[in-house]
This record gives sequence, structure tokens and C-alpha cells, in this order.
Amino acid sequence: MIEQEVIIKNRAGMHTRPAAVLVKTAAKFKSDFYIYKDGMEINGKSIIGVMTLAAEQGSKLILRFDGADEQDAANEVIDLFSRGFDE
Amino acid sequence: MSFKQGAESIKEKISVGFLYHTNKTRLKLEPLTGEIGFERSIKDKNIHRPGLALAGYVQLFRYDRVQVCGNTEMRYLSQIDPKHREEMLRTIFKFKVPCLIITNNNEVDELFIQIAREQGVAIFKTPFETTKLVYFLSDFLDDQFAPQTAIHGSFVDVYGIGLLLVGRSGIGKSEIALDLVERGHRLVADDIVMVTRKGEGILMGSGTDLVKHFMEIRGLGLIDVRSMFGIRAIRFQKRVEVVVELMDWDANADYTRTGLDEEGISILDVQVLGIKLPIFPGKNVTVICEVIALNYLLKHYGYDAAKEFAKRLEAVISEKSKQIGERRVDYFEHDFE
Repeated sequence: MIEQEVIIKNRAGMHTRPAAVLVKTAAKFKSDFYIYKDGMEINGKSIIGVMTLAAEQGSKLILRFDGADEQDAANEVIDLFSRGFDE
Repeated sequence: MSFKQGAESIKEKISVGFLYHTNKTRLKLEPLTGEIGFERSIKDKNIHRPGLALAGYVQLFRYDRVQVCGNTEMRYLSQIDPKHREEMLRTIFKFKVPCLIITNNNEVDELFIQIAREQGVAIFKTPFETTKLVYFLSDFLDDQFAPQTAIHGSFVDVYGIGLLLVGRSGIGKSEIALDLVERGHRLVADDIVMVTRKGEGILMGSGTDLVKHFMEIRGLGLIDVRSMFGIRAIRFQKRVEVVVELMDWDANADYTRTGLDEEGISILDVQVLGIKLPIFPGKNVTVICEVIALNYLLKHYGYDAAKEFAKRLEAVISEKSKQIGERRVDYFEHDFE
């Protein structure tokens, strides 16, 4: 299991487009992917789940990957966050 | 039976301002100290009546709770010596009291309010009598401090039974929920179901304020069930009664064949009925969900099909041991229809 804290960098926060990019990326991998924010943990492969977090710029999320390809999944997803979803 | 449940969370505090703004109409609260003390936090769901503290006994004064002054407290204060009274008020407001509510529209004099102001305590007045106020306020605070968890699944009211569908991402929970809505059942929440424990042993499920009745259908995107199917297709909250876990068919897994071996599942330490449902192409899961709900209703009304069948079987077996040469159906009536 891999756990990593990330910060939302882009100005608009995790709105519809980045949320869609995130779940698509996560869905490529077999590993479970969960996001934790403000006492709520959601499935990172579900678009509605990700959007429920309504994560604004600067907010902190804890990502959790669990499964056979967790390292690859973590690398790609964390890279996405560090690029600010290319926005 | 186990499935992934989100972390349990309990609200640690609410602010006095939040208490006021969410309850001002329902509890008919009138602020007597403006917005003073609105930033103070309430951390306890219980309510305290400061009668003994006002009489001078402050050793066990639960000052950290919402204080409610009824007729008893107010009349006691009005009949004691004014000097002693001021001293008593100064004593209790020195504690970090979150706020104080005066019931029955009891008169509050300037000094009372002035001391509260000095110490930064919010005071409210309500026309409700104490028992009624305590009843409504407890209900609100109980709800605010109830343990809660977010579950990844779809939650539908099927024939009045709260059916929570869970299973891995992409197994088809939303599609089944949509199919159930099409057949006249009511969607409570899709994808993120907020489950709250109410009282002892009751789980209530609802959607989040943001997502309410939106759902994602793979290949289509987001749809709004409420505007698409109308008000009859939704509801805001429902008690969680049955958890249906959808799983890929696995020839080696052990599925119940009779229904006699019921399994429970624990959510927030509350046991509800859990059903493992293997799915494969061509299986009509929607109809099975309806049957699950109907079977649950039958059991609730005292008819357990599996037990009933077992009873019949036992009766036939014991009968058989007495007879020789039996047929498996009764004699046909002479109409050959």
C-alpha cells in the first residue's frame, strides 16, 4: 500500500475536467485508489466521488493506492497532481 | 462479508453561529447579545441546565455544554438578593460556556445581558417551553455529532426497503440503480452514500448536498435522475436495511443456496442484512433486487420462505417413513385441464 499527500496546485481546483482526467488515469490500473479529504474517503476511480470532494486550490488530499500495480498507479497519478493537471 | 468502507468520521465541533443560523426559525431563537460569542464551539451533544451552578455549586458544572435556563432558573434568580445574583451570574459566565438559551420567553434584565456580553457568551431567547426546546435541540445536536461514513455504492428505496448496492468500480451499480428507477423505485444516492448512525442501531443513508441525485453512467457521463424521471423517482433519505454486494461470478466462491444461512454486515457497528450476489451476463439483477426487497418484507411480516420450505420437507420425510409406495403429487382431479 502506498500513501502520499498531495496539494491541489491549479487555480480552478479539482473541477470537472481535472476530475475526469484523474479518474481516467486511475481506471487504467488494477489497484484500488482512494482519496481522503476532511474526514471523507472516496473511491478515486469514481467521477462523482472525486467531484464530491470539491477540492479547491491549496487543499491537501491523501492518496492511497493498494494492489499489484500500485507503484505505477501512484507514479502516474501523483505526477498528474504535481503538474496541476496541466492547467 | 466485507467490502471497502470509508473512514468513520464524527464532527468534533460546531460553532454557536452555525447552531443559530440553522435553527433560528425552527427553534424561534432570538439573539439578545448580537453576534457576540458566535465563534465559540459546541463539542458536546448533551444539554445542561445550570440550576445548581446558579445556586453556587459549580464543582460538577458542565459548562462546556449548551446551557438551557427554564422557569426554574429564571425564577430562582429573580427572587434572590440582587447582589448575590450578580455574583452568581459573574461566576457562571466566567466558565467557557458555549451559549445559553432562555426558554418560555422569560424576562432577561440588562445586567444579565451585560455580564454575558463582557464574557463573550451568546444568549438566545425562545418562546418554546424547556421540554420542547430540549427535545428539538437534542435531536439537532444528536444528528450533528452522529458517526458518519461515506460508502461507495448506490442506494435505492425498493418497495420501501433501503437497498444499498456495493461492489467494485465498474461492476454496474449505477446501471442497476437506474434500471430500478425505471421500474418505479426511488433513488436516494448514487456513488457516494453518506451513512449516519441515528440513535441505537439505525443507519440512515443520503446523498451529499452537491451530488444529490446525479449519477454517472459509463459511456454517457453525468445524468440528473430528478429532472429526467421526476420527483417520484427520488427521495432524500432512507434507512439502510439490506446491503447487496455485487461480485463477479466465481465458481469457487461459496454462495448461499437455501437462504437459511443469513449473513450480517456491520456498518458503523450496526448489523444489517448482507447479501452476496454473483453477477454474469444475462442475469437480471434488477428483478433479483426487487425479489430481495420483497423477501425481506415477507420476513419482516413473519414469513421466511427458506424456513417454510425446510419445514415442509421435514414433514414429507417423516410422513414418508410411515407409507409404502408414494407418488410425488396428489391425485389429479378429474378434469384433465
